[in-house]
Amino acid sequence: MNASTSSIKRKQWWRSYAIWFILPAFLLYCIFVMVPTFSSIYLSFTSWDGISDNIRYIGFENFKEIWNSPRVHNALTNTIIVAIALVILENVVALLLAILVDQVRWLKNLFRSIFYFPVLMSGIIMGFIWMIILNYNFGVVNQLLDLVGLSALKTDWLGNPDYALLSIILSTVWKASGYYMIIYLAGLQGIPQELLEAASIDGAGKWKQFWHVTFPLLAGATTVCVMLSMINSLKLFDQIAVMTNGGPGFATETLTYIIYKVAFGEGRQGFGTALAIVLFILIMIISLIQIRLLRKREVQM
Amino acid sequence: MKKRTKTPITSSNIIIFVITFVIAVIFVFPIFFNIMSAFKSNADILRDALAFPTELYTESFKYLLTKTDYPKAMLNSAILTVGSIIAMVVIIPMAAYAIERTNNRWTNAIYVFFLFGMMVPFQVYMIPLFKQLNMMGLFGNLLGPIMIYIAGSVGFGVLLYTSFLKGVPREIEESAEIDGCSRIGIFWRIVFPLLGPVTASMVVLQGLGIWNDFLMPMLVLPSGQTKTMIVELFYYVGEFSSRWDMIFAGTTMSLVPVLLAFLSLQKYFVKGVSSGAIKG
Repeated sequence: MNASTSSIKRKQWWRSYAIWFILPAFLLYCIFVMVPTFSSIYLSFTSWDGISDNIRYIGFENFKEIWNSPRVHNALTNTIIVAIALVILENVVALLLAILVDQVRWLKNLFRSIFYFPVLMSGIIMGFIWMIILNYNFGVVNQLLDLVGLSALKTDWLGNPDYALLSIILSTVWKASGYYMIIYLAGLQGIPQELLEAASIDGAGKWKQFWHVTFPLLAGATTVCVMLSMINSLKLFDQIAVMTNGGPGFATETLTYIIYKVAFGEGRQGFGTALAIVLFILIMIISLIQIRLLRKREVQM
Repeated sequence: MKKRTKTPITSSNIIIFVITFVIAVIFVFPIFFNIMSAFKSNADILRDALAFPTELYTESFKYLLTKTDYPKAMLNSAILTVGSIIAMVVIIPMAAYAIERTNNRWTNAIYVFFLFGMMVPFQVYMIPLFKQLNMMGLFGNLLGPIMIYIAGSVGFGVLLYTSFLKGVPREIEESAEIDGCSRIGIFWRIVFPLLGPVTASMVVLQGLGIWNDFLMPMLVLPSGQTKTMIVELFYYVGEFSSRWDMIFAGTTMSLVPVLLAFLSLQKYFVKGVSSGAIKG
């Protein structure tokens, strides 16, 4: 009996401390994440302009407009192009960098740091530097093209709608690959050396060793990197803001950029939140796929 | 590491080294270009972007530091970063500790509720948040973004801390409890010091993110006395569109502290990236 009363007492005591420990995080999270998220869902059914108190409910009008608007379609197409291109390029470059850093005989740590440097930059700074490098008159890229006698290839990289999105994609690959490199590198260093030695004794060349031993063992790192790079590419914003402001025309407008422009540039916050809900659904689907894939892998292990 | 000593240098060693070196040059060039250009006058940059500076030109730094709001913006960025980080490593590990050690129906529900936040990108709630800060009187106040940063990192932080706490044995806590130590005392004196590796990862990764953040500070700290460095730089790109030297000097001042922090805390950056990645 003594034991049971003490356990009840103890339970109450535990519970009270837990409440006080969790409360600050819980309150901040509710006020600054959950409340605005749910307001977003509500506002997406209104034609709110962001200023007036008169918030008019318009049902699914915003979503109908999203469905029919060529500008939104263009932004969605750009978002998908950016996402696919970035996922493929970032992961290929990151894996290549990881292999080089893993294999290189001298200055391993220095190289690793150098490949990671761009990750440390703000998208604004990185965007500005690349804007100058890609500038038509004074930029480094066009200067180099002049130097090697390929002046015919010179173009206004960010002012030309055909190249603007490509320029943003490539400079983002430069910025982000180092991050995924670290993850691949951790994966590579976790591969037991004996496996590769066994494969080479069996007569597998370097290439075969990579495809049949190394790459399958990197599956975990690959899943994580693909998912992370996809979610990050959907959120791409800073580079676009500084390099092209969504232009020329609407050539580089992505979903996140159009949300910002519509809501804060054009005073259509109701429509902006509806677009934000579309982004949310996209990211939710990807996250759920990620959780499923990771669970599956855990079972296999 | 594997074959450092004694093995003879092979031709493949050299080929790999050369390839890595060339790629490294491409990777480091834009950063080098930025810092180099900060020490050139505007005319020099426009004349030949690739040329080395002939003399150390520091007028743009002097101008930025004396004639503009840039020093104020640097201070704001520093307050925002340090303030948010300190608040984060006080609030989040406590919540994670209570969740992990109590582990009942309620705390599990809260845990899932927190994790849900990891899926919500800032763009989804930024529009109502903007209005909400206005109503709370926090618009243009550094306190607003600090609370937004803490709230935004609750999901990720709780996940990192709880998974680490699973590996921390309870025995010491129990004996401290018998000795009459309070929960707060147990947490801060015994548990928190053991969480060092996670805290280090949180500090470097979140600190970097906040120092470099753009969209949120631009929306809620848009003008005057509370602009951050990155927001100030963004406006310079528009205002000083023909004064590249000024912008290069500004970006250099934002970049150099980050590079120095990275070089001295490299280990934690690498650990932070890998630990964060495995979990989610």
